[in-house]
Amino acid sequence: MGIYTVFNVVIVVILGLVARFADKKVVDRERGGYSTRNLVVAAVLAAIAGVINTGMGNLWYLANTSLGPLGGALIQGMFMWAYILAVFMVRKPGVALAFGVIEAATEVLLGNAAGIGTLGWGISQGLAIEIIILLCAYSRFGLLTAIMAGMASSQFGTLWSSLFYGWDPAYSRDVWIAVPINMVSGAVFSGALGYFLATKVAKTGLVRSAE
Amino acid sequence: MAEHDLSYKDRGSVLNRVYPLVKLVWVFLIAVGLFLFTRPLSGMVVFLFVLFLALIPGKMRPGEILKSGLIVFGLGFLLMIFHFLIDPGETVWSFGFLQVSDYGLQQGPVFFFRLSGVVLASFILIWTTDTRDLMQSLVKAGMPYRYAYTIFLALRFLPLIQREVESVKAAHAIRGRAAGTTLKHRIILWQRYVFTILINGLRKAENTADALECRAFGYAPERTYVKRIAFRKRDMVLILFTLLLEAGLIAGERLF
Repeated sequence: MGIYTVFNVVIVVILGLVARFADKKVVDRERGGYSTRNLVVAAVLAAIAGVINTGMGNLWYLANTSLGPLGGALIQGMFMWAYILAVFMVRKPGVALAFGVIEAATEVLLGNAAGIGTLGWGISQGLAIEIIILLCAYSRFGLLTAIMAGMASSQFGTLWSSLFYGWDPAYSRDVWIAVPINMVSGAVFSGALGYFLATKVAKTGLVRSAE
Repeated sequence: MAEHDLSYKDRGSVLNRVYPLVKLVWVFLIAVGLFLFTRPLSGMVVFLFVLFLALIPGKMRPGEILKSGLIVFGLGFLLMIFHFLIDPGETVWSFGFLQVSDYGLQQGPVFFFRLSGVVLASFILIWTTDTRDLMQSLVKAGMPYRYAYTIFLALRFLPLIQREVESVKAAHAIRGRAAGTTLKHRIILWQRYVFTILINGLRKAENTADALECRAFGYAPERTYVKRIAFRKRDMVLILFTLLLEAGLIAGERLF
């Protein structure tokens, strides 16, 4: 498990550095603490994502428990689109991690099939996105950063899955084979989808937080 | 929102009266214990203990527990079978390419009880705790009330979002775009639902934020509550008993 943890941390840092130096879309960093609007927007996004992810979660749990790490890898990245959206709407330090905790807590209270274990994914996935945007100095929010954040969170979340479901990377080859699938899944279903939604929301001009 | 099986039920039970934060800590203790156990017997004892708490001090009906837990117990069972087949060790049974190892036979039930126990304990928290009380207890423990309120607000918005889903569905149906035929059509519909709900939800969120600020939310360092909850020392019995039970089981695993 130790080697797998180090491997995941290295992946997150590399993806963060790629975003830092390759993403040219630089925006102003928001200053100050969380406003009431920031908190309420995060709460409502968490509620929407909580409802969708709790339903999607059952499919993912079924694939994971019956087929192992490879089973759920294809849809592993489908849970973090809202994290990316939250980061684009509230560009402040700690938002990804805080959103992960709030969204996961909502899922726990909605009766997610992993119970309080859901918090493990909320924290690990939120932390991965937080590291990516921290490395980008909270000032790069282009498609590339979103894709890197999606990839990182999708892969980093498997740390908790391995611990929770008992997939020991020392003898389970599938854990390693699933790495590229997890990352592609995260890039498409979280990174690109989250960015697409964020730009669509901004284009409508109806939401002040997205301007 | 219609009351479903996984919602707060005020039945005047012993667990209803236990301080919410104590129950939250207890769920974490159960989870930690189930992660530390290496033998199926320990997991089974804790699982039965959690089940007992749900039935007697929690006043939950067996049918309610089964209905809510059916998916979880099913997933736990699949996870157990997966470990039977995938874990390394001496082969004790084989059928074609399927091989069951001795280590897998031991680990399978460990993971079944881990998953089932953690989730059942979480369900007890949901069944016996009013979310408003849980937030108040977190604030009393030192969490800034603006942040605690965020989680409460997320849950407050759930029925509104569900109503929104129904409205959007009805609006699409009136325009002749009801749940259609092909998978592609369904995906397009799903996209439209999500985007509309997202925009409407976010607009409601911004209006709510404005309304909260108009009422000076966040101005005072402390806020008031209609219903006050109080910690009682005897609530700690739940935590102390669980700690003793888990420590005894871990010691038993090491000694025998």
